[in-house]
Amino acid sequence: MIRMLLATFSALLLAWAPGAAHANEAVLDHSPLPEDKAALVRGAEIVATNCNGCHGLKYLRYRHLLNLGVSKDKVDEWRGSQSLDAVLASQMSDEAAKESFGGVVPPDLSLMASAREGGGHYLYSYLTAYHNTQDGVLGNTVFPETRMPDVLGMATATDAQQKAGIQAQAKDVSAFLIWAADPHAAERKHLGSYVLAYLAFMTVLLYLWKRRIWARIDQEPPIE
Amino acid sequence: MFKQTIDWIDQRFPLTSFVKHELTGYPTPRNLSYWWNFGFLAGFVLVLQLATGIFLAMHYKPDAALAFDSVQHIMRDVNYGWLLRYLHSTGASAFFVVVYIHMARTLYYGSYRKPRELLWWTGQILLLLLMAISFMGYLLPWGQMSYWGAAVITNLFRATPFIGDQLVVWLRGDYGVGDATLTRFFALHYLFPFIISAAVVIHLVALHSVKSSNPSGINLADKDNIPFHPYFTIKDMFGLGVYLMVFCWFVFFAPNAFIEAANNIPANPMQTPAHIVPEWYFLPFYAILRAVPDLIGGVIAMALSVLIFAAMPYMDRSRIPGGAHYRPFYRILFYLFAVDILVLGWVGSQPVTNTTVIVGQVATFVYFAAFLALPFISKIEERYLMSRKLPPALKSLLDAQGERSAK
Repeated sequence: MIRMLLATFSALLLAWAPGAAHANEAVLDHSPLPEDKAALVRGAEIVATNCNGCHGLKYLRYRHLLNLGVSKDKVDEWRGSQSLDAVLASQMSDEAAKESFGGVVPPDLSLMASAREGGGHYLYSYLTAYHNTQDGVLGNTVFPETRMPDVLGMATATDAQQKAGIQAQAKDVSAFLIWAADPHAAERKHLGSYVLAYLAFMTVLLYLWKRRIWARIDQEPPIE
Repeated sequence: MFKQTIDWIDQRFPLTSFVKHELTGYPTPRNLSYWWNFGFLAGFVLVLQLATGIFLAMHYKPDAALAFDSVQHIMRDVNYGWLLRYLHSTGASAFFVVVYIHMARTLYYGSYRKPRELLWWTGQILLLLLMAISFMGYLLPWGQMSYWGAAVITNLFRATPFIGDQLVVWLRGDYGVGDATLTRFFALHYLFPFIISAAVVIHLVALHSVKSSNPSGINLADKDNIPFHPYFTIKDMFGLGVYLMVFCWFVFFAPNAFIEAANNIPANPMQTPAHIVPEWYFLPFYAILRAVPDLIGGVIAMALSVLIFAAMPYMDRSRIPGGAHYRPFYRILFYLFAVDILVLGWVGSQPVTNTTVIVGQVATFVYFAAFLALPFISKIEERYLMSRKLPPALKSLLDAQGERSAK
């Protein structure tokens, strides 16, 4: 009975699924993103020296980059005269940004990886989705309304090697922004494996204890 | 020394007799399955939400200009703040998972039936309180979905006759959702746990008066009851271990599974998100709201869809004891209803299209039809079962009950 209902249900769901998909939703590239420290540091450099020109990262401070593993020399170079505790504010004033981008201030990037469906995959797909249309106009399939220029040069890249290099850069940027959105994620997963191991061990002990207590149920005197 | 201390207390406070009456000598049916663990688990989740919530409140700022940043402050700068916040945000979903399973068990095994009507109704009040507190808590991070979810739901009170518009302003403290709304939701979000704790005590008093139901649906003979402690304390502890493994997997490895991406964008009253969805636990009710084209009708249908559970003890007219296990028609109805809720949940999560509107309306009809058909189906089923031979297991239980009441 249950199986039949479930089968009917899933069949109906499958039948509806194509109609339900949003017409304007671009397909994201879900190729794996790097998680190693070297990629995060490379991504930090691209973001700090390029993206940060127009985009702020208001929840990140320069000392956080030191904790990530960026060398002191580089952080000093990026922050200039600002203190290590300064946030990575956009180097462009809001007024100047509005003038350059048609009245829109480029959004803060600190939470960008968690503020879009698809997370880092969205960012990677977006950064590499620039192309020139047949009329020679720059377009982006993931976010057609974007005002951001093709910073990495995807649309103008001609040979495969150049494209691969841009894709690698986009992956590093996405990886760094995933870290920036949730900097304790690695610590969380590390702690989580210990917590789960402990819980598994404790639960097995509790199960054995439960069996032991329930084994004497037939000797239990009636409740007065 | 220990005995002397206990004696000293017992002369002034009924400690020993309380422990004996409610734990070591509290009669509990020996045949309870693991489905009976979920009441205890709901209590555990409540305590965990209280504990994490109090510490979050020490670092959170209920101010429209500061709220979003203060959540990021908790996530980044407070020691283990990310853990507190993910325990609390995942805990809200876990609360509904546990409570919905607890309710499904009650419905499946007929635990709402006489003499447990008040137990069922106090549970219903707890569900309403849980819905209110989670709705208010969801505004606090002050993200886009927080803001627009609160705007949509408070707007529903516009359906109130005569005073609708004034009522909405009174609830929000302003013409739109704003700082005044945030501060009052925070105050109430901190108040409600105390009300819920008191309601839990009432729920437990009702439970300890009528005692637990059991899978057979028939009150067992005294000899088939065992003391709650140690048998069910250890069974609950083992169940807690299993629960915590699932819960902690989400907290540590997929904590964002229950946080909408749009809620990581600060609330912006000038920009409506393309697609406003409530949290997963409200989706079936949201689908019912949207299934009715008219606002007032939708609000009434949604309110009824939650409140109609209270009528279960009277809609179920069968004299066949127990739940779905012995009742084939009721069992079909139960599974049909469960599937219907899943369909409604899916409809609630989708943007409105022609398909989802029709599916939502059919599923809403099935939802209410299942309740309204129950009085008739339960009677037909009773006649059907009586005309055939009762299952031997049920017959022996019934005979035993008859003998007990004859004595």
